[in-house]
Amino acid sequence: MPFQNRRERWAGDWLTVALLLGGVLLLYYAVPILSLFLAQSPAAVLSELAAPTVVSAATTSILSASITTVIAVCFGVPLAYWLARTTVSWRPLVDAAVVLPLVLPPVVGGVVLLTVVGPNTALGSIASSLGYDLTGSLIGIVLAQTFVASPFVIVTARAAFAGVDQDLEHASRSLGKSRLTTVRRVTLPMAWPGIVAGVTLTFARAMGEFGATIMLAYHPRTMPVEIWVTFLEAGLGNAYPVAVVLVCLSLLALVALNVLGSDPWSE
Amino acid sequence: MLEFDSITKSHGSFRLGPLDLQVDDEILAILGPSGCGKTTLLAIAAGILQQDSGTVSLYGDALDTRPPEDRGTVMVFQDGALFPHMTVRENIRYAAVPDTDVEGLAATFEVAALLEQRASSLSGGERQRVAVARALAADPSALLLDEPLTNLDAPIRHRLREDLRARLAPLDIPVLYVTHDQSAATAIGDRLAVLNDGVIQQVGTPATVFERPATPFVARFTGHDNVFDGTIHGGTDQPHVRWGPYRLETDCTGFEPSTAVWFSIRPEYVRIVPEPEREATSNVLTGSITNRLFEGDTYRLRIAVDDLDERLELTVLRPAYDRHGLDECDRISVSVPPSAIYLDRVE
Repeated sequence: MPFQNRRERWAGDWLTVALLLGGVLLLYYAVPILSLFLAQSPAAVLSELAAPTVVSAATTSILSASITTVIAVCFGVPLAYWLARTTVSWRPLVDAAVVLPLVLPPVVGGVVLLTVVGPNTALGSIASSLGYDLTGSLIGIVLAQTFVASPFVIVTARAAFAGVDQDLEHASRSLGKSRLTTVRRVTLPMAWPGIVAGVTLTFARAMGEFGATIMLAYHPRTMPVEIWVTFLEAGLGNAYPVAVVLVCLSLLALVALNVLGSDPWSE
Repeated sequence: MLEFDSITKSHGSFRLGPLDLQVDDEILAILGPSGCGKTTLLAIAAGILQQDSGTVSLYGDALDTRPPEDRGTVMVFQDGALFPHMTVRENIRYAAVPDTDVEGLAATFEVAALLEQRASSLSGGERQRVAVARALAADPSALLLDEPLTNLDAPIRHRLREDLRARLAPLDIPVLYVTHDQSAATAIGDRLAVLNDGVIQQVGTPATVFERPATPFVARFTGHDNVFDGTIHGGTDQPHVRWGPYRLETDCTGFEPSTAVWFSIRPEYVRIVPEPEREATSNVLTGSITNRLFEGDTYRLRIAVDDLDERLELTVLRPAYDRHGLDECDRISVSVPPSAIYLDRVE
């Protein structure tokens, strides 16, 4: 039918326009990263890889981001499930609280955290007297990263849980399975891709966290802080190779988690 | 026996009950329009919803405080609610009691060939077959089916209706079958309960409910398209119904004169009367045709009855329709056999 064809061509034209518009943004993402890579000789990057400061920063970043991600998952995924299923009237308040760290500038997040865990606060001094410094330590980095990065897994996992038809859970329980078994065998497997996407975002965000981290823990240096310090002390050119290393680490994490999160029951 | 005792449940402006219902080891079809509360009733029995007051018990044990998994009531959902990430076999085995013959069960429900397929790849009819097989594998003490055939094409629906009746009838457990489709309800149910606006209108065998509807709502919902109000005139032994200017003879007896009644006339019993026979025929109504609907084998006509603000529906077989050469706006005389009038007191 000619009308049908015209309509299809119309839809096709619009898709092309949409891609062209989006393409401008895609280029804007890709070109700087490409140019960063092209600005470096591989030898320079490799030599940076061996530099003790870079190795130490990379270790700190990976370690802290991993701890942050584990904390975010342990505390955030149950909250995401609650948010997806609860019918209490004050749920929007919890929603707002979850999104708050996302809209807060990270530096402000750091300032806010310092008022609670800073060295002169009650919590900070008690922890310090027990031998655990909440600032200027790995703990401080994790605190900063958790504040900024954990909402990603909550928001994403919540959407994934909400996408699981509640009738499936009702059916499971009606068939005699407990709430826990139902979550384990029905809800979690179905929400898995979404949860892993959230984990990826959280990990990536934690790896890149700078604003709150620099307020809470200038030392030990994470990769972003290392880049910043190198840039200030030795100029932009010397910061490039460290940036390349961080980009590579982030991409690697992205790939690894995507493989994990690939739809486990896709044919 | 599954028993509902004074069950109430409100949400928003809707109120279910107070509702009493006993389901023996039988298939009880709950028939009612959408929004009448039938799914709410199932959800209460399954423990998915908590009633506001009243008690649900199964063979004498109160279920009210038990979570869904400890009730022994298994619910089958409208779209099957199969776990899409599992195969058909995994779905059936999900809650199967030990030593369940999965292959045998699958063969009974004609899904044996699908056992290794993902549940997400099944058609609507296959999904329902697997859903019922999965429910039976769990060895339920009561089975709750929520419109399992609603979203299926007519031929599959008819086939599955027969199959369900054949598989569910020998179970010897209470089976609640919720539907808004009167033909499914009569085909599957041993008994029917008609529900409207959260209130049970009538419980009885399909034949009783269809032939002797307890309320005008039940009459309309079970296909009595012509339901009107009238008054009894004449003696108790041979009464007739006064309907506006018309006097309709009826076979129904036992009503005092001046009793306000509602009465129904099945459209398939209304007969077209040729002009020469009019004088010699009883219960003749005249009017003009306002609507004509071609239904394949039959025409469905709607008549504006003379001197009344009422519409009478009748179905006419095609040969008869063609013989009378009728069209919209034509004048028409019809007769209603006294035996085709069912009437009851206005409550």
